[in-house]
Amino acid sequence: MTLQFHPEPPDHVPADLTVDFDFFHIPEGVADPTEIWHDLVRRNVPRIFYTPRNGGHWVFLNYNDIAEGYRNHETFSTHQAPIPPIAPFPVLQPNGVDPPEHNIFRLLLAPMFTPRAIRQLSEGLQHRAEGLIEGFALRGECDFIADYAEKFPTGTFLDLFGLPEAQLPEFLRIANVFFRSTDPVVRAANLNEIFTILEELFREKDRNPGNDMASKILAAKDANGHRHAWHDILNCGFLLFVAGLDTVTNTMAYVWRYLATTPAARAHFRERLDDPAAFLLAIEELMRINAVSNIYRRVKHDCEFRGVRLKKNDRVVLPNTVANRDAKVFERPGDIDLDRKINNHLTFGVGPHRCIGSHLAKREIMISLLEWLRHIPDFELAPEQEASAAFGGPVMGFESLKLVWPAKR
Amino acid sequence: MKVHVKLAVCQGHARCEDLCPEVFSTDAIEGKCVIEQPEFPPKLEEKVRLAVRNCPEGALRISGGMTS
Repeated sequence: MTLQFHPEPPDHVPADLTVDFDFFHIPEGVADPTEIWHDLVRRNVPRIFYTPRNGGHWVFLNYNDIAEGYRNHETFSTHQAPIPPIAPFPVLQPNGVDPPEHNIFRLLLAPMFTPRAIRQLSEGLQHRAEGLIEGFALRGECDFIADYAEKFPTGTFLDLFGLPEAQLPEFLRIANVFFRSTDPVVRAANLNEIFTILEELFREKDRNPGNDMASKILAAKDANGHRHAWHDILNCGFLLFVAGLDTVTNTMAYVWRYLATTPAARAHFRERLDDPAAFLLAIEELMRINAVSNIYRRVKHDCEFRGVRLKKNDRVVLPNTVANRDAKVFERPGDIDLDRKINNHLTFGVGPHRCIGSHLAKREIMISLLEWLRHIPDFELAPEQEASAAFGGPVMGFESLKLVWPAKR
Repeated sequence: MKVHVKLAVCQGHARCEDLCPEVFSTDAIEGKCVIEQPEFPPKLEEKVRLAVRNCPEGALRISGGMTS
């Protein structure tokens, strides 16, 4: 049985709200996968529409509706929300549970992800960034994805979890399958594989605890003073694994692709290497313009939303990239203004489930860019960089990003 | 002038701390906003106003003083 395509939308979906749209599919010749979303806005499709693709789901296109999809957890649940549907889907902790239960693991993780806790990682991040960049800086070319953007966040995750560097290729491979595959058999096998690895990882940390996140999750106590349930511990590890790798990799890919094609933006950052406040302001604009995640919700009960009938278990996609260009919220939304002062982008979501790792993600990107520009002040897309390297889905990005710069002699 | 936070609304984005670390920080338990200096000096007004306008949850507000 396949859930890929239902030619007949369900009865409660009116024909005039139906659009044939497959967000996993990037048509040939489209170099930037976010363009399939902005194209919807240009075509003026309904701002809340239904597509029968990928099991069938709604799409919200207004900033305010997307923000409401995030905030209103009474109606829009993160629990069992994947697209295409796969059942039962592991209950990610804390992301896959609604408030108030959500708070248990949210509070467990919160101290590890505060801005101060993340600032304390800076030296290690800088060391990792420098090591990777020095490995290819003299060469004058690299595949930014394989040589940097995959290795950096994955290595950071291994560090935070106290795992050996040797596990890097395995983690990269399974994360790739998790985000790209729509095949039910492949996805089920992939989930099994992820949980086998998590099981081994937490058992090992249980025997030999360290000062890492996995050990801290194991050591945490519930309201009765007991360790959390084993499946919740694994599901929390699962969340940290899937949330922090691919998203950072592909955001970096977008940022470096933009810088490679925009000399003025490279100069803007180069001139602010010693001005962290201005550098961070510009990074925030790159976060707005390069929102790679399309987020899922499941409708909890039959209801009417903005005059549209929704049914229990309907799926919804919240495309951050569209919210971030809403002219009702952003001045000159299509312009990339690296000095933009007011910037309430939704790249990290809003409401109770907003990305807990946003400070880590921004710091990873900021430190990477600082180190990169110190070693490689100017770079361009390689002539052979192909448009076909782009992919869609819940995290959009590029399979490869070939960069070139003047090699040092 | 004084800046206030509604902690029930704050979700710990810490945009305020990024924009005005003189006034805002983040607690180490829930990861939510802490106002270190509620009655901020006039020279910080512009930065505090930016922090307020950039709060993704609208959790911050300013009271008292002249409005600019």
